[in-house]
Amino acid sequence: MDLRCLCLLSLLLLSLGFPPISALGSVAGTDEDFTEELLLKPLPDRKVLSHFHFETSAPHTSVYGRHHRIFPKAVYQLVHKFRIREIELSFTQGRWNYERWGGFDSLSSQNAKPPGVELWASFDVPPDEVDLTWRNLTHALSGLFCASINFLESSTAYSAPQLVPRFNLSGIRYGSLPREAVCTENLTPWLKLLPCRDKAGLAAILDRPSIYKGFYHSQRLHLVSSEFGPNEGVGAGIILVQTLTTVIQPDFQSTDEISLQPSWSISSIFGRKIPGQCVLARLSNVFLELEKGLVVELEKLGLEHVNMKGLSKNPIFELSGTPDRLVGEVSQKSSVFYEFNVNKYAVDDPLDLGITWKLPMVWSCLLAPFHATRFLMGSGNERGSIAISLRSLHSDLGLPSSEFESSPLAKHGCTVRVVIFQVVPWYVKVYYHTLKIFIDGKTYVLSDVIEKMHVSPSEDKLSPGMMEIIFRLPCDMRSATIIVDFDKGFLHIDEYPPDANQGFDIPSAIVSFPDFHASAYLTDKSLSNESLLLFRFQEKNHVQSYTEVLLVPLTTPDFSMPYNVITFTCTVLALYFGSLLNVLRRRVGEEERFLKSEAALKPGLLPKLLTKLSAKLRRKSPESPQPPSPSPPSSSSFVSLRLLLKVILVAVLAIVWHYYLNDN
Amino acid sequence: MGLPKLPWRSQSALLIFSFFFFLSSVSIFSSPVAASSSSYSTMHNNNWAVLVCTSRFWFNYRHMANTLSLYRTVKRLGIPDERIILMLADDMACNARNNYPAQVFNNENHQLNLYGDNVEVDYRGYEVTVENFLRVLTGHHETAVPRSKRLLSDEGSHILLYMTGHGGDEFLKFQDNEELQSHDLADAVKQMKEKHRFKELLIMVDTCQAATLFSQLHSPDVLAIGSSKKGENSYSHHLDSDVGVSVVDRFTFYTLAFFEKLNMYSNASLSSLFNSFNPSLLMSTAYHRMDLYKRPLNEVPVTNFFGSVMKTIHTDSAYPGIFGKHSREQIETTLGSANSNANQGTSKSMINQESGNSNLDMKSQSGSSFLGKLERFSFITKKKKKVLASQERKALYLLFQ
Repeated sequence: MDLRCLCLLSLLLLSLGFPPISALGSVAGTDEDFTEELLLKPLPDRKVLSHFHFETSAPHTSVYGRHHRIFPKAVYQLVHKFRIREIELSFTQGRWNYERWGGFDSLSSQNAKPPGVELWASFDVPPDEVDLTWRNLTHALSGLFCASINFLESSTAYSAPQLVPRFNLSGIRYGSLPREAVCTENLTPWLKLLPCRDKAGLAAILDRPSIYKGFYHSQRLHLVSSEFGPNEGVGAGIILVQTLTTVIQPDFQSTDEISLQPSWSISSIFGRKIPGQCVLARLSNVFLELEKGLVVELEKLGLEHVNMKGLSKNPIFELSGTPDRLVGEVSQKSSVFYEFNVNKYAVDDPLDLGITWKLPMVWSCLLAPFHATRFLMGSGNERGSIAISLRSLHSDLGLPSSEFESSPLAKHGCTVRVVIFQVVPWYVKVYYHTLKIFIDGKTYVLSDVIEKMHVSPSEDKLSPGMMEIIFRLPCDMRSATIIVDFDKGFLHIDEYPPDANQGFDIPSAIVSFPDFHASAYLTDKSLSNESLLLFRFQEKNHVQSYTEVLLVPLTTPDFSMPYNVITFTCTVLALYFGSLLNVLRRRVGEEERFLKSEAALKPGLLPKLLTKLSAKLRRKSPESPQPPSPSPPSSSSFVSLRLLLKVILVAVLAIVWHYYLNDN
Repeated sequence: MGLPKLPWRSQSALLIFSFFFFLSSVSIFSSPVAASSSSYSTMHNNNWAVLVCTSRFWFNYRHMANTLSLYRTVKRLGIPDERIILMLADDMACNARNNYPAQVFNNENHQLNLYGDNVEVDYRGYEVTVENFLRVLTGHHETAVPRSKRLLSDEGSHILLYMTGHGGDEFLKFQDNEELQSHDLADAVKQMKEKHRFKELLIMVDTCQAATLFSQLHSPDVLAIGSSKKGENSYSHHLDSDVGVSVVDRFTFYTLAFFEKLNMYSNASLSSLFNSFNPSLLMSTAYHRMDLYKRPLNEVPVTNFFGSVMKTIHTDSAYPGIFGKHSREQIETTLGSANSNANQGTSKSMINQESGNSNLDMKSQSGSSFLGKLERFSFITKKKKKVLASQERKALYLLFQ
């Protein structure tokens, strides 16, 4: 007991003693660091985005050693076992609405993810070992995160992209599982990587049913390590960023004012309030973001600068609680962040940030340069085409459109680079030579619009088809459509999943715009000390968007076919041989004689009828005047049997003759 | 806790008695029972549970609810998550058809969310195949498969294997796509036995004609119970009109009704569980096969399989070492020590008897009469720890904690 007390005491002392040290140390990168932050943002379509950002970092092993008090051991071991340089794993359900929730800001370009599981990793191993390391990593992650990530082990499931700006790393592998379910069991291990788990701090408000009833939830884990590679020992060892992004529709509190934005608070969204910070966290902040469109609208309504002073008595909305700071972007008419420090709150005085709208507001979000959609064309189970369509969302991307009227190929004028990355499973056999591009409805020669291309066609049961193309598209184009044809392949009967009739998924394509960067230019320069969430927003992020997952119906075999074939064939054979044998063995004359003798012996009614019948059958003149009713069908059946016999004999002869001829 | 403190004289008398008993047992059992006693030479020291829901698709919600109910029960009774292999063939909790996201109910009163906040599913979706199931049982895995997906049991393990899904005469369907046959199950269990992967195994199956699935079993120390006999169907218990489907099967429902009354410390035996099944309520006859199982069912507490409660031996002196297959060598060495310091050697020789002889094992288990040194003990409770610590010179050994 004494020992335990001592341990506790020393732990207490440590935890008391550490905060100042860590606050100092994190700057120098010599101590472990943990920060927790939450961003809340009202969305134009009456929903609320909440974005949790947990960042844990550990100094380099050569400086700090192998033992950590905050950094999760499981992840550290993973990094060292597989020599990971960078890894990103996301679990997502729902589709990010690029037109209403934003497509040009840091949040969407980092946290909008395709449905299901997406994993990419870069390893510091010799090129011939990358595949093996990847396979082992997928198994390890599947155990760690309770998901079937091990299905990415198969070489038909992953690829090695080169041209996508984000994957510009050596030894990278990329794979995604569009149909992977995401639920509580994936969140459980993810939360266990946090030092306070979900017992304290911001993660304590993560009520599972509230998260999973939302329109979109994406749980992400991004890890960058400088433990290996050329810049070994430089930088902050391992940085682990865990984010959870959810889009939730708050409940309407008053039904009479439909035009108003719904008023919400943390407790109305999650059913819980923030019970103070996790004591191990260096930073614990909650931000409320008012995006650019909203700020512009607010200023139109006379709210000049949405600053701290004007906040309390503004006629449009009301915040519960007073923010500690306002972080605005450098340029006016841009988004602002209200910062709330959680360390002021405790279990008996929890933080319940909320917003109440007094006037109806309508605004729009920042849009990506193009809206990308992907769809299937064609019908039937044999072939089809995949089309990726880009629709321009900005009329003023660059130069005025008149310049391009004269030259159809925008070679010298303003062009926009668009990178399209698409992985297609092998059973959808894409013919890359059929690639066509239509810009504003007109066909273009591919070599005029393609800057660079990296295509690896699929190999049956070995590798998926991968297509990476950098297009140079004219700035003033309104729409572009890229079409490529495919044939549908066949799987072996054992390879079909149990729900094959549902169809097969083609993972989301990535449409990336390397010329555009989404980054927030904020007023404060020293953000890395004050908010890592905003610090990450300030980084240069390539704008990119994911397209829809395609559902391709493939021809599915009748899975009960073997059984059916056996029973059907047996029936046919039995019918054929049975009747043949019957016909061959039957001697009508004998039977007649037998019947006659029987009739002579015992002239009953039935034998009489029978003799009559047989006489009929042989088409002799009936002895009795009354014709029995069932005779015509039976006689015809006998005739048809004979006919059938003849036909079969002829057919057999023909077949024999045919084979004889063929053999010759 | 009530360890009778015996006077020194009776202690020594008991010691001498036990010593002679021990000698006789060694002489009797030394040569002929070598093979069969190997399983008994190891004490029950850990618990595992393999819980399998084999049905896909939303209308089979109840099978997942069955499995999750058992998962919750065994977790509540003390089996930790890392010793539970949970296989769920589909995602019902976050299914698009589920009105209650991230929640699964087994009763229409919706008082208990089976999915909870800390569920860990080891195999899910397409991974739940006959192949993976047999791999888990037999331990034939690829090297890359992580520990959390393996059944790392040993010869001291009690394993609960619970399966539910759609079945028929001698088969159980997986994912409406493939079947596990009774021969496959019997072969897997035989392999497990030969590889010392369990000490005792309880197979519990809730499916139609469940009893037929056990017909090929022939490995010892296996106890099996099924929801219905051959030719009988197993029925669902009730329909939840909010969820829209049946939420639990009858056999599992009444199993849970039995367990809800229990906690970690209850002494309810397996026979009381088996007798609690009422054929008229079940609408089928629960059948248990016990010809392969040696212990009398009324002496086996349910927590031996559904919980993680095991016998704990506490001794006066230091723990003598791992006793198991090699205990007979140790016997010789401890004999001397038991002779030399008769005051303290009681428990040592006791342990060796424990390990060497199955009959003794049962006798001693039946009560505190035999030296009062053995006690069923749950290994998590701090209260008991404190009480025991207060008893002088009695050290507590938590085996394989």
